[in-house]
Amino acid sequence: MEWTEENMLLLIPLGLGWLAVWWLMPTNTKRPRILGGLAAVAALLMLQMMLLPPAGDLVRNGLFFLFAGTAVITAGLMITDRSPVYSALWFALVTLAVCGLFLLNSAPFLAASTIIVYAGAIIVTFMFVIMLAQQSGTSSSYDQQPFQPAVASLGAFLLLGALLFTLQEWGGIDGKNAPDEPKTGQFVALPAGIAANPLSQAPADNPREIGSLRVLGRSLFGDYLFAVELAGTVLLIATIGAIALAPRRSQGTL
Amino acid sequence: MTASALESQLVVGAILFILGMIGFLTRRNLILIMLSAELMLHGVSVNLTAFSRYHGNPQGQVFTIFVLTIAACEAGLALSLILSLYQRRKSLDISLWSKLGEDDLAVFTSPPTAAPVAPADPNADLPHLTPAGRMPKTPGPNQAKT
Amino acid sequence: MTDWLKENVLWLIPAAPLLACLWIVLVGQVVRRKYAHRPLVLGLVVSLAASLYLLTVVVPQGFAHDEHEVSHSVITFVYQWFKVGTLDIPVTLRADAMSALMLTMVTSVSTLVAIFASSYMKGDPGYPRFFAAMSLFVFSMCMLVLAGNFLLLFVFWEAVGLCSYLLIGFWFQKPSAAAAAKKAFVVNRIGDFGLILGILLVWQTCGTLDFATLFDSSFVIDQMVRQQPEIFHWICLLLFVGAIGKSAQFPLQVWLPDAMEGPTPVSALIHAATMVTAGVYLVARCTPFFVHAPYIQMAVSGIGAATALIAAITALTQYDLKRVLAYSTVSQLGYMFMSLGAAGAGEGLAIHAVTFAMFHMFTHAFFKAVLFLSAGSVMHAMGDVIDMRRFSGLRKVLPITHWTFLAGALALAGVPLLSGFWSKDEILAVLAAASKGSAHGGFYQVILGIALLTSLMTAFYTFRAYFMTFWGPEKFPEEAGHHPHDAPPAMAGPLAILAIAALGIGLVTGPTHLYGHYLHHTPGLPHADEFPLDPVMMAISSVLAIAGIAVAYLLYVASPGIAQNLKRSLSIGFKISQEGLFIDWCGYKFVAAPLRTLASICEFFDRWVVDTIVDCFGFIPALFGSVIRPVQNGMVQNYGLVMMIGLVVCLISVLRALAGTM
Repeated sequence: MEWTEENMLLLIPLGLGWLAVWWLMPTNTKRPRILGGLAAVAALLMLQMMLLPPAGDLVRNGLFFLFAGTAVITAGLMITDRSPVYSALWFALVTLAVCGLFLLNSAPFLAASTIIVYAGAIIVTFMFVIMLAQQSGTSSSYDQQPFQPAVASLGAFLLLGALLFTLQEWGGIDGKNAPDEPKTGQFVALPAGIAANPLSQAPADNPREIGSLRVLGRSLFGDYLFAVELAGTVLLIATIGAIALAPRRSQGTL
Repeated sequence: MTASALESQLVVGAILFILGMIGFLTRRNLILIMLSAELMLHGVSVNLTAFSRYHGNPQGQVFTIFVLTIAACEAGLALSLILSLYQRRKSLDISLWSKLGEDDLAVFTSPPTAAPVAPADPNADLPHLTPAGRMPKTPGPNQAKT
Repeated sequence: MTDWLKENVLWLIPAAPLLACLWIVLVGQVVRRKYAHRPLVLGLVVSLAASLYLLTVVVPQGFAHDEHEVSHSVITFVYQWFKVGTLDIPVTLRADAMSALMLTMVTSVSTLVAIFASSYMKGDPGYPRFFAAMSLFVFSMCMLVLAGNFLLLFVFWEAVGLCSYLLIGFWFQKPSAAAAAKKAFVVNRIGDFGLILGILLVWQTCGTLDFATLFDSSFVIDQMVRQQPEIFHWICLLLFVGAIGKSAQFPLQVWLPDAMEGPTPVSALIHAATMVTAGVYLVARCTPFFVHAPYIQMAVSGIGAATALIAAITALTQYDLKRVLAYSTVSQLGYMFMSLGAAGAGEGLAIHAVTFAMFHMFTHAFFKAVLFLSAGSVMHAMGDVIDMRRFSGLRKVLPITHWTFLAGALALAGVPLLSGFWSKDEILAVLAAASKGSAHGGFYQVILGIALLTSLMTAFYTFRAYFMTFWGPEKFPEEAGHHPHDAPPAMAGPLAILAIAALGIGLVTGPTHLYGHYLHHTPGLPHADEFPLDPVMMAISSVLAIAGIAVAYLLYVASPGIAQNLKRSLSIGFKISQEGLFIDWCGYKFVAAPLRTLASICEFFDRWVVDTIVDCFGFIPALFGSVIRPVQNGMVQNYGLVMMIGLVVCLISVLRALAGTM
C-alpha cells in the first residue's frame, strides 16, 4: 500500500492510459469516444509533468514535446482508428514525428532516410495494398472488432509500467538519482577494434558531429562493413522472396 | 545531452513500443498488424538514437540504419505474404487463419451485439468521373482464372 | 569319390530338396512356372540316391550275419547353433540304421508322389507354390529324421507341421480348406506343447539333448535310472503326447480326416506315408527311455488300440473315398502304437515291438500311398468328385487305377503274402506274445482282441470302398464329362511302382527278416533273441482278412439290398459310425465351446474393466490438457499475447528482486 502511494504519480497515468486505449478501441457499439480522448490527454499530461527537465534549452524542450506528443498521440490514433486507410496515414505522421526526434538526437541523415524509406516507400506500398484489398471503401467488420482489447492493453500497460518504473528507480527519470552531466564517447566499452579506430569516434567537443555523414559513413563502411554486406544480401534475398511470394495474377484482379 | 533528456526520449520510445504492441495484439487487419510492428520498431529506433547522442558515438545510429534495412525487407515480404493470403480468402482478417490451433476450439466469436456490416452500395456517395471515351474492358475474376 | 560321398552323403540328403525349394521360390515362381516340378524331382532323385547309399554306409557289410554288432551312428557337424551355459546345441546330422531306413522310405515315396503330382496338379494357378511347399516338407522331414539332438528334432517337428498347414490350406480360397488347415495346426500345437515339455524334462534330467550321448551308449540313462527311475514315466508321457498330436492318436486324431481338404498327393505323402509317422519314429527313437516306463508303454498300447478301433468303426460308413483312407490311416497308426506299447510286457519284447512297428510303418507308407494316389486318380477322372455314392463301376473305365487300388487294398486288408499281411501279422504276433507274458498279460489280451477286430474291420471297409468305387453299374457324376480318362503316364508310372512295392516289399523284407536285422543295428535298442513267426496268428489274420473281404463283396456286390436293410435296421449305429463316434462333436461341445465362453468372458473383462482403468489414466492428462488447451487456438495474436504476458511476469519478478536488494 505504501508502495502504491509512493508511486501514485506513475500508476495513475498508466491506469488512465489503459482505460483510454481500451475505450478508444474500435467497436460496433456507439461509445462517446471523447471520454477516451480526455483520459488519454490527462494521462499524457501527468506523464509530461514527470518528464519535465529541471533545466534546459527552452527551444529544444519545446521541440521535444512537440515531436514526442505528436508521435504518441498519432500512434494512439493509428492503433485505434477503425479505417485502415486512416491508420496508415496516422502512421505516416508518427514517422514524421519520430524523424523530428531523430533530428533532436543529432541524426539528420537518419531522419532523412527514414522519411524516404517509410513515408516514401513503405507507407505508399501499404496504401496500395489497402486500396486494392478494400475496394468497397467501407471498413470491414473485422476492423471494428478488435481481438481481446482489454487483456492485451492491460498486459501492455503493465509492461510499460515496469519499464517506466525501472527508469524512475534506476535511470533517474525525474533527475533524482542520476548525475546530471553529459556523457561522452568513453562511457561504454566498445569492442577493441572499434574503440581503437579514431575515425569512427565523434569528436568529443562537437557532439553534433556524430550524426554527420562523414562519421556515419566511416563507421558503416569501416567498422561494420561485413554487417553492411550482410544487410545488403538480406535485402537482395528479401527482394527475390517478395517476387517469388507475390501471387501470380492476371490483369485487373488482385 | 543531459541524462534527463535521455530519460525523456526513452519514455517516448517505450510508449511508442507499447502502443505498437497493443496494436499488434488487438487489431485483426493483417496490414494494421504489420504497421503496428513498424511502430514498435520506431520506438526502438528512438531509443537507439537517444543513446547514440547520449554516448556521443555513432554506433546507435548505425544500428538504426540496420533496423531500417531489415524493416524494409520485412515490409516487402510481409506485403507479398498478405497479398497471397488475401488471394486465398478474399479478406484481410487474421482470424481466418487459425488452422494450426486445436480443431474444436472457437477461434474468435463476434460479440452478440455485432451488427452485420451493411453491404456497400456501389452508387452511393462515391464521386463519379465524367465518362471519357469507352469504358476499358476488364475481365471478371472468374474469366481471369481460366 | 566314395570318400567324398561318405563324408557328405548326410548333408546331401536334406540339401537337395532345400535347394529345390529355394530355386522354386526365387526363380521358379517367375520363370517356367509350368516346369516347377522339375527341380523338386531332380532334388528328390539325388536325395533318394544318397539315402540308398547311406543304407550301405551306416551298417557293416554283411550285416545280416552278425545282427548284434551295433554300428555307431554317422554324425556330421554343420555349425554351432547356440551355447548357453551347459546347454550346447550344435546343428548336427546324425544317421543310424533307423534313420537310414526312414530316409529311404521318405525319399522314395516322395519321389514317386512328386512325379504323380506333376501331372495331377497341372494347370493349377499355384503350381510352383505347391512344389515349393513340398520341397520344404521333404527337407524338413529329412532334417527331422537326421536331427542330432532333441531341440533340432523339435525345430523340424514344427517345420513339418508348418508345411502340413501350408499344404492342407493349399486351396485357401475354400473356407473348408482354410478351416482344416487351422484345425490341424491348432490341434498339433497341443501335442507340440507336450513334446517341448518332454524335451525340457530330458534336459533337466540328463543334462544333454544330444542323441549320440543319450543313445549311443547307455551310460547316461543307466545313471539316471539309478538316481530317479520314476522321472522316465514323466519324460515318456510328455514325449508320447507329442507323438499323439503328430500321429493323430486319440484324442487328438480329429485333425487328420479334415486334412484331406488338401490336394491328394499331399494326403498321400504327408498325411499317410511320412509326416504322421513321425510320432511313431519319435517313440521308436526314444525306446531307451520307454523301456524304463512300462506303464507308459501300456498307455501307448491302450491309446493305440482305442484309436485303431474308433477309426475303424468310423471308416465303416464313410462315403468320402479319401476319408475312408484317412480313417484307415489313423487306424493303422493305432496299430503301430499298439505294437510299440507291447514292449511294456517284458524287456525281451522291446526290440521286436519297435521293429514291427517300424516295419508296419514302412509297408504302410507304400500301400497307403498307392491307395491315396489311386483315389486321387479317381478324383482326377471324376472331375474332383470324391463321394462314392455318385460313381461306381469304374473298373472298365479306369483299368490302371483299378488294379493299383486293388493292390493297395489287398495289402492293407492283410491278404496273405502281401506286404500288409507280413507287418500286421508280426504286430499281432508280438501282441500275442505280450499277452502270454506274466506282466499285464490280461491287458494285452484285450489289446490283441481289439487288434483282431480292427483287422477284420479294416478288410471290410477297404473293400467296401473298393467295391463301391470299381464294381456295380457304371455311373459317372456330371462333373466328369462323358468319357473319363484313365491316369496319364506321369501318374500311372508312380502308381504302378508303388503298387508293386505294396504287393512285394513285405515279401522281400518280412519273412527274410531283412528289415528287422538291419534295424537291429540301431544303437540304443536292447538286444533280444530272434522272434519266431507265429503261424497261429498268421492263420487267424488271414481268415479275418478274407472274411472281411467276403462280407464286403456280399453286401456291396452280390446283394446290395442287404446293405440297405442293414443300414435301415441299424440306423442309430450307422449314424454313430458316420459321425465318427461324435468325437468331433464332443470336442466342439466340451472343449471348444467352454473355451469360447472363457474367451468371451476374458474379452468382456478386457474391454470393460481393463480398458476402463486404462482410459481413466488416459483421462488425467486430457483433463489437465483441457485447462490449457484454449491457449492453442491458432491465432497468432493469442500466442503473441501469451509471450508478452510471460515477458511482463519475468520483468516484474526481476524488478521485485532488484527492489528488494536496494
